Amino acid sequence: MNKLIRSTAGSSGKWITTLVTGLLFLGLSSSLAKTPSLHPLIQLLDEQGRNVIESGQAISTMQTCGSCHDSKYISEHSFHADVGLSAIAAPTSFNKTHSWDRSPGYYGKWDPLDYRVLSAPTDQFQDLDQAAWVQTQGFRHVGGGPAEYNVAGERLTETHSTTWDWQQSGVEEMNCFLCHTPQPNNTARIKALQAGDFKWANTATLLGTDIVSTKGSGYRWNPQAFNADGKLKREFLRIQDPSNSNCGQCHGDVYTAGDALTALGTTGWTTTRTGEIFAPQRINHTGLNVSDKEQLSRAWDIHAERAVKCVDCHPSTNNPIYFQKSAAHNLNHLVFDARRIDVEDFLYRPSHDFAKGERAMNEVQAEFQTNMRRCDGCHDADAVHEHLPYKDAHFDKVSCESCHIPKMHAPAYQQVDWTVLTLGRTAATIYRGAEGDPQDVHTLITGFNPILLPSEQRDGGSALGPYNLISSWYWVYGDDPRPVRIADLEQVYFSGDSYRPEIMKAFDVDQDGQLSATELRIDNAPKATLIRQDLEALGLTKVQIRGEVQAHKISHDVTNGAWAVNTCTECHSKNSRVAAGMELANYIPGGVIPDFIASGRVSPEGKISTTSDGKLVYQLDMADEGLYVFGASSVKWIDWIGILIFLGTLLGVLVHSGYRVYASHHMVAQHHETERIYMYHFYERLWHWIQVATIFTLLFTGFIIHKPEMFGLFSFPYVVQLHNVMGFILFANAFLAVFYHLVSGEIKQYIPQPRGFFDQAIVQAGFYLKGIFRGDEHPFEKTPQKKLNPLQQITYFGLLNFLLPLQIITGLVIWSMQTWPAIAASLGGLPVLGPLHSFVAWLFGSFIVLHMYLTTTGHKPLDGIQAMIYGWDEVEVPKRRRKGKSDSSKKEKQ
Amino acid sequence: MRNNKYTWLIGLLITVVVIIIPVVIAIPGKTPPRDNPRSHLPQVLSHVDHKALMPGPYKTGQEVTQACLSCHPEAADQVMHTAHWTWESDSVYSPDHDRKVTLGKKNAINNFCISIESNWPACTACHAGYGWKDASFDFSKKENVDCLVCHDNTGSYKKSKQGLPAKGVDLAAAAQSVASPTRENCGGCHFDGGGGNAVKHGDLDESLKFPNEELDVHMGRYDFQCVTCHTAQDHKIRGRSSSVSIDKLAVDNQVKCIDCHSEKPHDDQRLNEHVASVACQTCHIPAMSRKEATKVHWDWSTAGQDIPQNPHEYLKIKGSFSYERNHLPEYAWYNGTTKRYLKGDVIDPSVPTAFNPPNGDITDPTAKIWPFKIHRGKQVYDTEYNYFLIPKTVGPGGYWTDFDWDEALTLGQKSSGVPYSGHYGFAPTTFYWTTTHMVAPKEEALRCVDCHSEQGRLDWVALGYDGDPVTHGGRNFNQKISRTNGGVR
Repeated sequence: MNKLIRSTAGSSGKWITTLVTGLLFLGLSSSLAKTPSLHPLIQLLDEQGRNVIESGQAISTMQTCGSCHDSKYISEHSFHADVGLSAIAAPTSFNKTHSWDRSPGYYGKWDPLDYRVLSAPTDQFQDLDQAAWVQTQGFRHVGGGPAEYNVAGERLTETHSTTWDWQQSGVEEMNCFLCHTPQPNNTARIKALQAGDFKWANTATLLGTDIVSTKGSGYRWNPQAFNADGKLKREFLRIQDPSNSNCGQCHGDVYTAGDALTALGTTGWTTTRTGEIFAPQRINHTGLNVSDKEQLSRAWDIHAERAVKCVDCHPSTNNPIYFQKSAAHNLNHLVFDARRIDVEDFLYRPSHDFAKGERAMNEVQAEFQTNMRRCDGCHDADAVHEHLPYKDAHFDKVSCESCHIPKMHAPAYQQVDWTVLTLGRTAATIYRGAEGDPQDVHTLITGFNPILLPSEQRDGGSALGPYNLISSWYWVYGDDPRPVRIADLEQVYFSGDSYRPEIMKAFDVDQDGQLSATELRIDNAPKATLIRQDLEALGLTKVQIRGEVQAHKISHDVTNGAWAVNTCTECHSKNSRVAAGMELANYIPGGVIPDFIASGRVSPEGKISTTSDGKLVYQLDMADEGLYVFGASSVKWIDWIGILIFLGTLLGVLVHSGYRVYASHHMVAQHHETERIYMYHFYERLWHWIQVATIFTLLFTGFIIHKPEMFGLFSFPYVVQLHNVMGFILFANAFLAVFYHLVSGEIKQYIPQPRGFFDQAIVQAGFYLKGIFRGDEHPFEKTPQKKLNPLQQITYFGLLNFLLPLQIITGLVIWSMQTWPAIAASLGGLPVLGPLHSFVAWLFGSFIVLHMYLTTTGHKPLDGIQAMIYGWDEVEVPKRRRKGKSDSSKKEKQ
Repeated sequence: MRNNKYTWLIGLLITVVVIIIPVVIAIPGKTPPRDNPRSHLPQVLSHVDHKALMPGPYKTGQEVTQACLSCHPEAADQVMHTAHWTWESDSVYSPDHDRKVTLGKKNAINNFCISIESNWPACTACHAGYGWKDASFDFSKKENVDCLVCHDNTGSYKKSKQGLPAKGVDLAAAAQSVASPTRENCGGCHFDGGGGNAVKHGDLDESLKFPNEELDVHMGRYDFQCVTCHTAQDHKIRGRSSSVSIDKLAVDNQVKCIDCHSEKPHDDQRLNEHVASVACQTCHIPAMSRKEATKVHWDWSTAGQDIPQNPHEYLKIKGSFSYERNHLPEYAWYNGTTKRYLKGDVIDPSVPTAFNPPNGDITDPTAKIWPFKIHRGKQVYDTEYNYFLIPKTVGPGGYWTDFDWDEALTLGQKSSGVPYSGHYGFAPTTFYWTTTHMVAPKEEALRCVDCHSEQGRLDWVALGYDGDPVTHGGRNFNQKISRTNGGVR
């Protein structure tokens, strides 16, 4: 029905449609809620435990819900309520970069994106005290914690403050309704908080249910909503498990099956930071102006689409259904420990510390960090990644999210510049993934690829995962630095509703009376000096600009295999996702290069650099991170040395052969008597040619793997497989050849005789350098028993004893990374093996050039090759043996 | 061996073999597609050009038919054995009535224009024959078979009352154009079921003449004709309407998705699990009437008033209606057969009478959840005998002429043989139409949350589940189907 209305309404009436749809769902939600609520009828009690219908007072959730549940336990076991209060300490003890932080949580931890500071009582310039925090920051706090208690654990109504009348305002207890009712009125709650009416904030959450309404400046309970025994009638309030929408009130843009996503939310906390939108809707069905939307028939998040709720992955940590001991604590003989908390116990004391993922920028309750089931808690990735070569190697180094969150299709913060204030009294903010203001429906949303950064895994390793990087700049002051308060910035920038004339003079470059986005930035020294001096005029000392870069983990907006990164070359090529940098800023406020804030598990090795057009980019240093990605990684100097050796060989061969050709035309042909000898056995020849075929293929495929972008024609995974197969053939062939040579004793030929070796080698070298041009006789006789001259002997000795085994072993170890990753790891991993393997490949290439050339140095240029084909070689008969032998050789010829 | 000059060839062969064999073994070939629906499509031969064969001129449709029969002598006889001609079924056993019945358009009653009996000339405009104007129509005259209605390819052939060619139709041109039936041929009647475009079926309307792929992936993306799936043998066309399907036998004549598609067509195992209990259509036709609004409600009781008229809201001759575009189907278990209200069956006028409710429920392993358009109506019944009456609507004395129910019912009983006591009222009805055309591209198919969520479109409890099967288990899990029963197909 809802769909019909949507589709028949014209585009001009979109807002009406949305309104009607919304109203419909208000009505439908109860009729469609198909299971009856089992929650017993409840009395609404005030702080004194009296029924509100009698006292007319504000509701106390601790009393109301506490009549059955252990509400004290719940609020004490909830980091949603505590948000860092219990960890409050003096500044400087938490965070080296933000020395003013007082806790690791929302209450006390400064966030440059949000900006407001919870001041220490000793601070000279106060920004937020506790009451002001509740007023301004309580909009995404569930109550309890700092909205109810002070640091000492005293209820605030029992304390006295010179700056705030807590008795008058009351406190906001942990608000059960915000998460456990279908349509909590969060807007009214936030309004009550902002008005300082903390006590009534929870009651305000019920506005709109007909249980309570506003009356003048107060509230009136509706007697019709209550039974004769003072209990709330069932149809007035449904108590339920938190729905996705409940979570979305504070955590980001969340939509359900019935919502149409027509515009980005304005307060989507996570959404603004990462672009994550938790919605089942297909992207091509949204009202957002997403580029290439027609092709995007995937849902924003596959889990949302598949009816997985937030609380399914982030359950209460003592929920008996979801509770799972960590693998580290599992007993070897048990698959499932059946002894668990009774449902009754759980309902009495449900822990409200929920299983958490890993938000790099959020360190509250570190012990709960990453205690949720990760992907592998539900999915058997092993079973469905048969198509992925080197599955385990990939799983080891690449998190599921890296491939399954390939692209964000919503904008996210890129640069938040608090060194200036916009007319809206907020930071100059630039989003990535949008060509303009994300709130404007006309803005084209291009989306962005997350940057892949390594982070420490729960099991100890390090794996890549998707992140958004947000750079921010802000002014700090003082010996113990503090961020400059917004109030002070406002004083500096504004007079009344407009910028101060001094500001306009310095910033309005085109003098059109307005500050455009490109003007409102501190991009030269005079601007910086002006603001600094004005701030110092307010009594602030040591004013300076700081910049920082935060890495925000992206975990939602997951998609299935069809939409995931599923072509090898997305990572295994020059344009690798792993090697891709990320733009941090369009301009650099005050010229201050920001620090990368290493946090928790994320402290990547990388560098921040400026581009020629003044932008700031972050680039992960893959080598320092121990990452070697075939096709993307290479060690430049090794490649260059390899190329030089190869080219040098080629050049030498060309010069030598050129001179040979030249010399042959200018000398009297010398006739050497020759004889035909059966030089190479069939097996020797077969072995040789198999070696030729495999080595050529290996070099070629290896080169494709090394630089895939130069050979777009070839499918990367096939080439890898071909390379592996060839490697094994080479290995087997070499092994059989060694066996043959050992058994037949032919191995002797390859072992240089120590005695006189150097003299002989010099003689041979002399031949190649001189004699060959004069048409001299070869200094050493080539016989089936002694095929190799001394130089060949030493070359083959090196080749067969050193290069070939080295290449085979490094190749085998790299190949074995799937099965025995420890071997590769013990040898330094791919960063060592990869470059080594490619360097030896260059040496092989050079050897082949030389080897091929030297085959032409026999009696006649093609004799060598023909011998290797037919076995019969035309060799010179040494002078000392020439007489008397010629007859027999001729005989053999026939 | 030593002197063999082909030794290089042997060596080369061995080298190649040594290298190629491991490569072939190790490099996986492309896995064959799970399912190749195209391979099941009928091979259509190009049709013989009839231009020279049918010179004309023809004065009547019958003359054309006779010309056709001169070369296709068996054709008329074949057509005369099909429901397109007889408008009734073979005699089949109806378990609900415990007798054998023949049922078809000829004698059925519905909640649109009610019945053709006493109203032939208007209704038979869609009969594949000429001249059916009353009960005395002779079904054995071959020349009355209308070849052109299905085979005209000019698109200009039209039928009027009694099924005769409309005035001004160029019969020679139509006769020369004959070829395999197109969507326009079939649509000429089937898109206009119920008397107008999109009235009767939510999934068949004139938008299918030139559909885009969003509307119908088969016809839009691949240019299927109706006969691509509804293939024919000796003019007997496969397919079956849920409006007149009480017999089990005819299930086999049904066109099914799995005629071409695999029974496990999805990459996703979870989706394939659905196939046992959910018809393909349920997910792949997310909404019907996506271009043209379809009639969902018809109240005869308000007819006859002189109030403003509008063909989509109120007509004096028919009463009030409502139409919906993008109408969401309603879902019910369906095993391929329906019950059927027959003339004279007694009703309870206080509750809606379902004329053709689908058979099957959660315990029936052959039943699946199907999408239906349920047309709700209110129509005239005999308050004394408690059954639905058949009024004469068309022609002299008919309701549409005189607006007098009593007169129309008195005239109607003569033709229908359903006695009228002289007392009438209006009782609610429902009529089920399967939703099976307008298959959307797979990207538009329903997703999990469309059913498995608070806002889901299935009423699980009404379907017989304890709750959403995601959390409460499916019908096998809950042993709603006995496992010894062979389980689900």
